[in-house]
Amino acid sequence: MSKVRRYEVTAAGDFASVLAVLTDHVGLQLVSLEEVERSWLDTAAGTLAQTDSTLEFRTPKGEGTASLTWATEGRVLVHDNCVAASVPAGAGDLPETAAFTRLARLIDGESFVLGPTVNSQIAVLACLDDEDKTTARFVFDRSETLEGTALPMLLEIVPLRGYDAEAAAIEKLVRRSVALSESATPMKARVGNATGTRAPSTGLAPELSAASAWRVVLQQLTKSITDSFSGVLSGDDPEDLHAFRVAVRRIRTLLQDGGEVIDPESRDRFRHEYRWLGDITTPTRDADVHLLEFPGLAASLPQARRDDLAPFNEVLIHHRNECLSSMVTDLRSIRRAEFGSAWLEFLSDDDAWTGCGELSDEPVLRVVIRRVEKAHRELVKNGGKITKKSPAIALHELRKEGKRLRYLLECFGPLFNEEALATILRPLRDLQDVLGEFQDTEVQGEALLELAGELATTDDHSALVAIGGVVEQLGVRGSTARNEFSKVFGRFDDRKVQRALNRLETTKSSGKKKR
Amino acid sequence: MKVLATYNIKGGVGKTATAVNLAHVAAAEGNRVLVWDLDPQGAATFYFRVKPKVKGGGKAIVRGSIELGDAIKATDFDNLDLVPADFSYRHLDLWLDDAKKPLARIRRALRQVDHEYDYIFLDCPPSISLTSESVFRAADALLVPTIPTTLSLRTYEQLDRFVEENPDMVRELKILGFFSMVDRHKRLHRRFMTELRTAHPEMLEGTIPNSTDIERMGVHREPIGSYGKGSRAARSYESLWSEIQTRL
Repeated sequence: MSKVRRYEVTAAGDFASVLAVLTDHVGLQLVSLEEVERSWLDTAAGTLAQTDSTLEFRTPKGEGTASLTWATEGRVLVHDNCVAASVPAGAGDLPETAAFTRLARLIDGESFVLGPTVNSQIAVLACLDDEDKTTARFVFDRSETLEGTALPMLLEIVPLRGYDAEAAAIEKLVRRSVALSESATPMKARVGNATGTRAPSTGLAPELSAASAWRVVLQQLTKSITDSFSGVLSGDDPEDLHAFRVAVRRIRTLLQDGGEVIDPESRDRFRHEYRWLGDITTPTRDADVHLLEFPGLAASLPQARRDDLAPFNEVLIHHRNECLSSMVTDLRSIRRAEFGSAWLEFLSDDDAWTGCGELSDEPVLRVVIRRVEKAHRELVKNGGKITKKSPAIALHELRKEGKRLRYLLECFGPLFNEEALATILRPLRDLQDVLGEFQDTEVQGEALLELAGELATTDDHSALVAIGGVVEQLGVRGSTARNEFSKVFGRFDDRKVQRALNRLETTKSSGKKKR
Repeated sequence: MKVLATYNIKGGVGKTATAVNLAHVAAAEGNRVLVWDLDPQGAATFYFRVKPKVKGGGKAIVRGSIELGDAIKATDFDNLDLVPADFSYRHLDLWLDDAKKPLARIRRALRQVDHEYDYIFLDCPPSISLTSESVFRAADALLVPTIPTTLSLRTYEQLDRFVEENPDMVRELKILGFFSMVDRHKRLHRRFMTELRTAHPEMLEGTIPNSTDIERMGVHREPIGSYGKGSRAARSYESLWSEIQTRL
């Protein structure tokens, strides 16, 4: 599938000429004409940039509602009008549609960071064939910074899948008639250059020492924990706890893979404490998942059986409240407070990060690539041993290994070649999704059956029968995931991924090694 | 990824309108959707304004000499792609008959692209043949539009019997029948609906009305959700889709 081609339209005459050529030779239809203020969003780690996708929040000038568009290479993955006219802060603020659910999974609990903002006039024209079918879209994008600096108009030619030849013919026609200068830089990067707000800076650079880089990432993750902490205590939004736990898991990965980079005594102590912090939040997260997923699971039952589940929903709510209460007690404990203070002190203490391990002064890229290669090797080796007869625990362990690799790649993402990183992360995330689905259905099934015990004392067994139906559905989902494992693992254990691993430390344009 | 086939032994019951409109609803929700028009008449292809021709020929896809992904055309709607029909599909049964493991051919072709989509709709030609059996093997569910008339009910029961008699072929296949082209003013339609629901309580509750709005798809060459958003017919496809999702 061809990629988007970009040209600068430097003079008003060029714009008119392009239009004239198009109207003379192809059917043309105006798809949309917008005047908006738009901002690009990404996570601090640049998760969207790593997957070659963009998330735009647009507010119309004048009448209309704000909108959110997730797109990749000119192809809209999802576009939705927003009920709230404010920039989403994280997954919890995304519309509840299938594609935004995928986006929420992709950012995995991280918050959005507001990137560059501009005022834009955007016209989208469809080129039509003799069946009035769109073959390519021409996007004219005239933007200026909030300070009023105008950027050259950008023309994007977006071929539709299966119509590459038609799009190429139109492009050739336009280029023959109008002198346009080709440019590979998309508008987001142009705006970033003009406003000095490039992709959110993570403070990571390949030449940093391993200890300094580890410290930078740990500081960022600690900020995520601090930001979500009050939300976790209130228990109002399950996304806060999810974001909190993701940050905790990432810190644990960095501590696990921080041997010879972090002071060993501190590393041992904090690994132990972070494990505890993860453990005390697990029951509440599981209870949140039961509550969030239960309506969907119940919907798979016939109407009569669904009604039978009403008493069980009460059990789930009660159970979640109990878990929350116990978790809040632990989070407000002296142990948590002392550990939190010690951690912040450790992160801010320069001495603790100087000469703290054999590899602490090595360039970070060299150290982290070795860790990534090791994590990849282990994942491939152990994944290759999984058969249809392997016990569930083997898949659970593999999921942990997958997480380790994913978090290393994502936490140090800004150091790597973007295209190589995306090539590894795509199949890895798919693999993790399948392993996650398998584990979730197992854990949920067992937990629901245990909780159902609370209903066993009543004479009416209709709720128990209905729960049996739900658990059966979970079993079906679990076995579907298990059956998909070999296929998704095959896509990960692939030469393309291996080659991408070898390219991780090369810069995108030059092909030279970064270190 | 789920494969849904719109199927009925009988023609003219609304199979193509179902495939096109449900696919459009699913894509508008943000799902990645593919429609494969297997009917040589190419009505789904026509509705999406795509030329009814498969690059390299339909036979090459079935034989596996070209990838299904190479035949895919984007429609004018986000997240909604199409494998167009090809008039040569009229020979599909013969090609399958010549092939090794004919029943696995469609499933094998779909496997090449299944990671790109959340839902794949197969718009099948009417009949019961090797093609339909290959579709049964590939699909997770058959969506069976049924007009509440004697002949349609007869074919629905033929299908039901076929499925019952061939458990190995259909495996986990779900049969999701629903009433299509319903005219509630007709007493006969109301009577047949009651009778069939009693005999087959598993039928979906959602119904598709007999509507000129749906017939106008041929004029607009678009799914009804594009030109008739909010109409009764468009809403009926939306609620049918919600119900189908709960059954998958």
